[in-house]
Amino acid sequence: MRKSRSKRKSNIHLQQPTINPRDFQFMITKVAVSQICKSVGFRRSRVSALETLTLVATKYLETLVKSAASFSNAASRTQSNILDLTNALHDMSLQVGFMGASTLYDHNNNCLLKSSVLESLSDFVSSTNEIPFAKPIERAKERESEEVNAVPGSFQERGGHIPEWLPRFPDVGGTNENCDKRVNGEQLWENSSSVLGCQIDGFEEKRCGSNNVGKLPKGRSRIKFRVNNGGGTRVGLNGISCNNVFGQSKDEEEAEPVAVCEKSVKSEEKQILVYKRRKKLC
Amino acid sequence: MNHNRQSNDGKHDDDSALSDFLASLMDYTPTIPDELVEHYLAKSGFQCPDVRLIRLVAVATQKFVAEVANDALQHCKARQAAVVKDKREKQQKDKRLILTMDDLSKSLREYGVNVKQQEYFADSPSTGIDPATRDE
Repeated sequence: MRKSRSKRKSNIHLQQPTINPRDFQFMITKVAVSQICKSVGFRRSRVSALETLTLVATKYLETLVKSAASFSNAASRTQSNILDLTNALHDMSLQVGFMGASTLYDHNNNCLLKSSVLESLSDFVSSTNEIPFAKPIERAKERESEEVNAVPGSFQERGGHIPEWLPRFPDVGGTNENCDKRVNGEQLWENSSSVLGCQIDGFEEKRCGSNNVGKLPKGRSRIKFRVNNGGGTRVGLNGISCNNVFGQSKDEEEAEPVAVCEKSVKSEEKQILVYKRRKKLC
Repeated sequence: MNHNRQSNDGKHDDDSALSDFLASLMDYTPTIPDELVEHYLAKSGFQCPDVRLIRLVAVATQKFVAEVANDALQHCKARQAAVVKDKREKQQKDKRLILTMDDLSKSLREYGVNVKQQEYFADSPSTGIDPATRDE
């Protein structure tokens, strides 16, 4: 029985689909392209043909956008506008040909917005029925940005070495203005408004426990620390490392090893219990 | 190359037509979803906060795909018309309209894309043939 169960489990693991992000984009494009094909009048499609058309559509989109971006970069801009896009559309449709292609770069008739490509696009929009995409797509970016807005200015300032679930540093921005006052007003540093202001701000933040303090930018995942207590037992503590606790105060040193010992004993007991259970199972 | 130069002649008419078209894009939902287009825009370095331009890119791609598919459909219909009538009556009309690589490659060739149907290798000459028509 056990073997069969384990076999089933392993099969389940094998069957879990590994989703490649590229595949995800490709699948979405495939759905959209198949919707377009259906609207044109096709009833069925060969898989290879549909995938080829999807690939070509993706390449078309990418080439169009890259060309528009390069046009805007050539005009020393980072943001693209409709003129860049129109130029890119002209370049893309030169193969097929369009009205006014011969006079495209003519000095007398060079208004880009008059182009027939845009006109044909507007005709297409007005003549074709709207076929919205079949399924809603969840946007990952929106959720992230909402969370970032809840805790302002947290991600940009913090370094990469600080875990995301830690609370952000308290605001130090207000002290600079007060520093100027102190230099000009010749006060004692202790009595200066900068120190008092900072303290008050700090206390207020701590006392009030304002909304920003309670909210963490990201949920903390469970963390385990491994501490070797001679016997090699593992003590799992949620978020507290024992070494830091030892280092803080000498008074507690006497009490803590006992506690740790108790913990280790408890963990050993647990392990023994686990062994017993396993034996029973066997 | 004077790409971005605009002339003032008749600019107002074009402006109004263009602004109408762009305003109509706000209400139009293309088949290619905005999220997908935004992904490819970001991937290609196209920065634009305007939704209308994103929609314009989507509409252009949709038009391209629709044109290619329509050409393939015409090729398909033309090929079907050449087939002997007895066979055509057997099949239903809806089932005949199948997007195949032959028609697709023909229609894509007009747009400058050279696609060739994949070679099909069989271990014996009778592998791909329908079992009903196979001589055994």
